[in-house]
Amino acid sequence: MTNVEKYTQAFVDAFSIDAETAMTLKFQQIPAWDSVGHMGLVAQIEEQFGIMMEPDDIVDLNSFDKGKEMLGAKYGVDFAS
Amino acid sequence: MEINPITIRTLSMLGQRGVFGLAFMDVAETDRNIIALSADLCNTSGLDRFRTKYPDRFFNVGIAEQNMVGVAAGLAAAGYVPFATTFANFAALRSCEQVRHFLGYMKENVKLVGFGAGFSFGMFGTTHYALEDVAVLRAINNLVILNPADGLEVLKATHAAAKINAPVYIRLSGVMNNPIIYKSDYVFEIGKAITLREGMDVSIITTGSMVDLALKAAALLEADGVSAEVVNMHTIKPLDVYAVEKACAKKLIVTVEEHSRIGGLGSAVAEVLTSNTRRPIQIILGTGDEYLHAGDFQHMLESHGLTALQIAKKISNTYKEVVK
Repeated sequence: MTNVEKYTQAFVDAFSIDAETAMTLKFQQIPAWDSVGHMGLVAQIEEQFGIMMEPDDIVDLNSFDKGKEMLGAKYGVDFAS
Repeated sequence: MEINPITIRTLSMLGQRGVFGLAFMDVAETDRNIIALSADLCNTSGLDRFRTKYPDRFFNVGIAEQNMVGVAAGLAAAGYVPFATTFANFAALRSCEQVRHFLGYMKENVKLVGFGAGFSFGMFGTTHYALEDVAVLRAINNLVILNPADGLEVLKATHAAAKINAPVYIRLSGVMNNPIIYKSDYVFEIGKAITLREGMDVSIITTGSMVDLALKAAALLEADGVSAEVVNMHTIKPLDVYAVEKACAKKLIVTVEEHSRIGGLGSAVAEVLTSNTRRPIQIILGTGDEYLHAGDFQHMLESHGLTALQIAKKISNTYKEVVK
């Protein structure tokens, strides 16, 4: 599984949605991504990449794109391969 | 809810209040008589998902905690299982007489959930701290008092409270990013303490948010040559008397709580020890008989000498005196 697939899977597992929906998702765009669901998503991402996200980053994660950018810049996740 | 590392991490990040909301959804799905009441703190109680899914099972009574307890008791008398939720200080202090009459005396099957206990509310200050709630509620007959140590234990305590036909006070403490005490599933039983760490010299009996710090203090003590066991007394009432009597085999008993040293867990343990002919010295660690300037959670712990290092130092000093 590529890192993009792993990242997308975190959203799919956290919110029970399909991959296509996941890729354009923003915070609170669906009922499942509320403040509670947010923590579940963070736990899924952490599990997928074996990382522990910083509290500020947990707050900043407000969209699929933002999370991807953050993981690449701060946690060394390579989405190119 | 399936218990796995992802769930446990999620529960940790949510903090005890957030976990209660999830746990309550879990519990409420098992019995349609389970209902929720809030004193105008629906979202703060983590109950927004429940209210959305079950609007006819959620009642916001407004900022009227005493009334909330009365309404909950009436609904309990009609066969419902109400979880009445508000800040811990309002639950215990403002509603005290209603809790005594309806939950203690009449034994109505109400689950009173007090969140933000101890110093959880940080900068909200002393008016919102709950440092006397256990002392007050422990004196009320027939009331079970639970004080979970981490997110998973909140889940367990909520399920356990729903199952028993008795009034229960669930005391939720700590802040978001609650430390994880239980890394996997375990058996939670009301009234049965859990030994989290074995030790030969000292028994640290603790509860709620202090469990994590007591474990850290025990690790520091080990480096200092003192072997300390740590007991999670998640049920403050009925107290696990056997666990306290077992601790009498140590040279020192220490109780640690995010609560006044007067009337809380320390007092409950002392009440057991006082009738025991063979007992070691007990030291009670908690907040002092004074209201200090407010600050954030960590600041308040430091002000009251309740960080892991401060706890370890106090225990070490006393232990050295005891064995001299």
